[in-house]
Amino acid sequence: MRREKSEIHSTWERVRDGLASAEPCFVREQVVDATRAFFKERGFHEVETPLFVRYPGMEPYLEVFQTEWRDTRGRCYPGFLTTSPEYAMKKLLAAGVGPLFQICKSFRNREDVSSRHNPEFTILEWYRANADYLEIMRDCEELYRAIATALGTESAGNTWTYRGKTIDLGTEWERLSVREAFTRYAGVDLQRDLYQLVDVARDKGYAMAPENTWEQAYHQIFLNEIEPRLGQTTPTFLYEYPIAMAALARASANDSTVAERFELYVAGIEMANAFGELTDADEQLRRLEAERQERRLLGKTDYAIDTDFVHALARGIPPSAGIALGIDRTAMFFADVDSIREVLWFPADELFQ
Amino acid sequence: MQITTSEFRKGLYIMFRDDPYQITDLEFVNPGKGSAFFRTKLRSMKTGRVIDYTFKSGESVEDYPVITLDLQYLYRDGDHLIFMDPETFNQFTGEVAIVGEFADFLRENETYPIMLHGEEIVGIRPPKRIVAKVAEAEPVIKGNTATGLTKTVVLDNGVTITAPSFIEAGDTIAVNPDSREYIERVTS
Repeated sequence: MRREKSEIHSTWERVRDGLASAEPCFVREQVVDATRAFFKERGFHEVETPLFVRYPGMEPYLEVFQTEWRDTRGRCYPGFLTTSPEYAMKKLLAAGVGPLFQICKSFRNREDVSSRHNPEFTILEWYRANADYLEIMRDCEELYRAIATALGTESAGNTWTYRGKTIDLGTEWERLSVREAFTRYAGVDLQRDLYQLVDVARDKGYAMAPENTWEQAYHQIFLNEIEPRLGQTTPTFLYEYPIAMAALARASANDSTVAERFELYVAGIEMANAFGELTDADEQLRRLEAERQERRLLGKTDYAIDTDFVHALARGIPPSAGIALGIDRTAMFFADVDSIREVLWFPADELFQ
Repeated sequence: MQITTSEFRKGLYIMFRDDPYQITDLEFVNPGKGSAFFRTKLRSMKTGRVIDYTFKSGESVEDYPVITLDLQYLYRDGDHLIFMDPETFNQFTGEVAIVGEFADFLRENETYPIMLHGEEIVGIRPPKRIVAKVAEAEPVIKGNTATGLTKTVVLDNGVTITAPSFIEAGDTIAVNPDSREYIERVTS
């Protein structure tokens, strides 16, 4: 059988011909093994929840893959691939199944393949009942040390060298609030100027159009001036996000203008996103309705709210905290490679080129 | 002319903060909550320095007008490359550094798509694939049929690359001149 010769040969073929190394993918395998062992040893239940669902996540800026299930009578059920397993895992928290974790595929449409993105990617989520997000931070520290130890470093999991830079995993990781980060790295007072960020960004020399929002200005300042500086000595937990940027998180007990949300940065790379989970059903429903409205305005695929999820919160869910962590990016870090493509046997751009 | 981020691609020339730059790297970023962004590496046409900058999706910049002409490569003079327009016989001189890694693959009297800003050579659009003859290769060890082995071969233009072990001197192979990676054997 003949086939068209393409410019880029498949990864498997390059590995066969000795032109690419399989080592990063083998490191990935060890990262997954170490992760699973880590949670099992700590008494977490491993769960599997559907990837093909009727009601996917409502995040306004994520687009879904849409498909359908047809039965033998020709009945048609529209369905979607999950952008994260979050709703199902929280229903299980409400059922009293906890602590729990899952390693599964998630899917995001309308994104390009890049060194940090693939439309199909592997996500690790874990949730703890009767816990706050500070405990999830400690889980992250211990998980990365456990992976580093499993990969057999001389430093017994205390340091890891990524692209020539040694990151200290052993001491307590940096905890930096979003407000402190903006002050320290961008000279911006978020407390005062959050809703004037478009003007602040324009004064800094960024091109700002009348339709630009404070969130766009926030991200432009963040991506250009702050993100590259995070997680360079130890990993960094960036925490306490403006309340408007955390639809599934609860407000901080100390300050109602910020939410219990953190992101984990390692060597400038965003690895994880965590919440002190919102457990108030009425508030959750209001936020989901607002997000659905925003999806419509943005021209995103429209679908109904997962009322079973809201119902789960209404039936009572203990104060909980949870996190989504990118396995591909984590494997990229531990394999010491520049792109998640190198820890994927079949990156999407090879399949669809 | 204004161009927006949706038209951005690697190799494009743009005006950024009043100076000309070439986009050398381009990646989509989605911060999750907030619309999309494009992370770029921009090489200054003036200093050669590379900077990182992240644009909002939909942002627009002024383009830096560049035309592409098929020019014949004549010869190299120190740090300069001399090209000629085969229609008008006008000669153009460009610095080797502007052509970058592809300079090693240039063959005299062949024509290449050359990018000009006015009379100034600002770049070359290198082919994704060139074919070259293998000048030197270590001999194949008889009976060694194991896969996954590579060796170093020298091409007839003097460039050294890594190729599968079955490649021998005299073979013609296709190479990506940008990454210097072996693509395939064209003849045996």
